[in-house]
Amino acid sequence: MTSSSSPSTHVASRARQYVMVFVALAVITAIEIAMTQTSIPASLANVFFLAFSLAKATLVATFFMHLRDDSRIYTAIFLLPVVLVLAFSTLMLMSAGGH
Amino acid sequence: MTSHSITHEDEFRAGRELSLDHRKLGMWLFLASEVMFFGGLIGTFLHYKATVPSPESAELDTVLVGINTFILVTSSLMVVLGLDSIRRGNRRGLLTYLGLTALLGAVFLGGQGYEFVSLYGHGITLTSSVFGSSFFTLTGFHGLHVLIGVAWALLTLGKALRGKYSAEDHVGVEAFGLYWHFVDIVWIVLFTIIYLI
Repeated sequence: MTSSSSPSTHVASRARQYVMVFVALAVITAIEIAMTQTSIPASLANVFFLAFSLAKATLVATFFMHLRDDSRIYTAIFLLPVVLVLAFSTLMLMSAGGH
Repeated sequence: MTSHSITHEDEFRAGRELSLDHRKLGMWLFLASEVMFFGGLIGTFLHYKATVPSPESAELDTVLVGINTFILVTSSLMVVLGLDSIRRGNRRGLLTYLGLTALLGAVFLGGQGYEFVSLYGHGITLTSSVFGSSFFTLTGFHGLHVLIGVAWALLTLGKALRGKYSAEDHVGVEAFGLYWHFVDIVWIVLFTIIYLI
């Protein structure tokens, strides 16, 4: 939402959208748990786990934290340190892999 | 005060023109600092995971923690449903969903406590190994954030009971929600890097 000062009337409920996002999060989590009980090669499973994690985090930030509708300044403030942390972690793991 | 001085009202108006609420802006800046905080802890955990063998990780109960993950995700749904309620002037709905949020947060902490006790029973402690140290530090700090979130939910619930929030003014609920969802996102990441990969 873009403003907290909107009038009480004519405010449409987003409950349906929120429940749909929740169902998606629950289904992805269930798939993740089910995958840990199978014999899928770890290298392949890890790619899926990382993709699922990114998808879930994006869903929460976009819909539950309302970054889709709010000012892009909030998105920039949040994403900048995320990008820095990802770059830091990647470089550190590359360094660890070299030893 | 001269005619050229910038008043608080001017600054506030400038923020409004950018569609920014100074309370939400402060919350997002705080969350940005939290990203760096958890980023350091996660980086440390990943470094040790990549360089130090950790056979103790076989003792982790992925299914139990998966259920706990489901509980935390459900609590995030409760927060947005509470916000949706107060946006439409439904205070009773806000009270119900905030109560459920605090309850689910407490259940999550109970599950984490059970896991910690179970791991200590298997000899995995804060000082037993590099894995133990990095695992308990990372998940412990997240648990502390959930604990603070539960306290914040109860505080927000108390304010809602006193009629502090309305359809016109509910930024306090929104700010709490941002914190709670952030803690949820951190757990989504931790669940993946600790228990799945």
